[in-house]
Amino acid sequence: MAGFSDLNIPQGPDKKSMQGLLETAAHLGYSAVALNHVIDFKEKKQEIIKPVSPSELFPSLPVVQGTSKRIKVLTRLTLVISDPSHCNLLRSTSPNIRLYDIIAVFPKTEKLFHIACTTLDVDLVCINVTEKLPFYFRRPPVNVAIDRGIYFELLYTPAIKDSTMRRYTISNAISLMQICKGKNIVVSSAAERPLELRGPYDVANLGLLFGLSEGEAKAAVSTNCRAAMLHGETRKSACGIVYTLKKPRKVEEEETLPACKKAKTQA
Amino acid sequence: VPDAALRCRYVLCEVVSEDPRCRQCIEDRAVGLAVRDAIGRVHGDFGLACCSISFTVKYLNAYTGTVLLRCRKDSYRLLCSALPFVRQLESRNQRYPCFLNTLHVGGTIRTCQKFLIEYNRRQLLMLLQSCTNEEERRCVQKSLLSCSLTEEQCLSGNEDDDDDGTDTD
Repeated sequence: MAGFSDLNIPQGPDKKSMQGLLETAAHLGYSAVALNHVIDFKEKKQEIIKPVSPSELFPSLPVVQGTSKRIKVLTRLTLVISDPSHCNLLRSTSPNIRLYDIIAVFPKTEKLFHIACTTLDVDLVCINVTEKLPFYFRRPPVNVAIDRGIYFELLYTPAIKDSTMRRYTISNAISLMQICKGKNIVVSSAAERPLELRGPYDVANLGLLFGLSEGEAKAAVSTNCRAAMLHGETRKSACGIVYTLKKPRKVEEEETLPACKKAKTQA
Repeated sequence: VPDAALRCRYVLCEVVSEDPRCRQCIEDRAVGLAVRDAIGRVHGDFGLACCSISFTVKYLNAYTGTVLLRCRKDSYRLLCSALPFVRQLESRNQRYPCFLNTLHVGGTIRTCQKFLIEYNRRQLLMLLQSCTNEEERRCVQKSLLSCSLTEEQCLSGNEDDDDDGTDTD
């Protein structure tokens, strides 16, 4: 069975607090987390730096509750785009981008949402949960995104912190559900402190509030995350053909299965 | 076997906090109030009214931070979806930030007990691995060996109003 994952733990400057977050996540039963580095192009010229190396940052990773494995730490890059020119960075073959395990994009306008779903090479599309949606979702780009194996991310920490945010989160989530029918959803925390995290069972229950069914809600914390991670891996390795990791035998096995099936067989 | 309408659900949770003094707040009233408050905030008056039927804090263990809640089967979803919104416990004018981690939902106290014993055993095992001296090791090993279902006398008590239902999701 795919373990539980939290694909959004913002990368903070304090190593000790990051370690605390990892330990809480491991205690709650998350097998994998992704450290998120956010780049907002609205601010002055931003450069994409190389991702931090989790093994350097965390000399000892905690063991996941209920298993005997250590928690897996991935690197993720989120690009907040508010203008079509920002997409050029993604299209260019910047070497640093390829080093991240997961690439996410946060489109701020309807046009950019359309571009992100249909053409951009990303794994996750972030859905705004802290303010009223500036645009309505339409079926065509959402369906294209689902076919391409892209997942939509909903955050839950704002809803827990504030009642107005809760309303925006629930409205935005439900309006997405009506279009995508609960498919391809990932729920993550964006927790900056350990007390903002919630266990996977509880996050799945939050999914019910967001309009997901029980099965879809559980998938949003487990199998869908796994699939998004795999999508990132195929992107990294140039369509699953070239693997720079020392696992030559696995390459052939990975190639023959399409991304959605991989998530199930990876169990 | 009691009426189907009176079936209950038992929700087993763990209180997670950063401040060890939070344990002082782990008592019936404080926990019950925090949970009810969260239900009211998320589901409004309707939710609070539904969940109050047969709602009670059935068991607490301040040392391990374990809490067992009971509610009607019809409203357990309202309860469970509100639990993530508990952010602090308050007792005797002291409040400490924390959250609840849902461990298990069962139809009877017994199923939750069995789960808890297994869970505690796993925690002890992990503790064993991080023991730094022989004395600690022996204490933990002794606790491990005493983990069994026969120690349930403390919990079996008011089971008359509870059913014999099967485990849920």
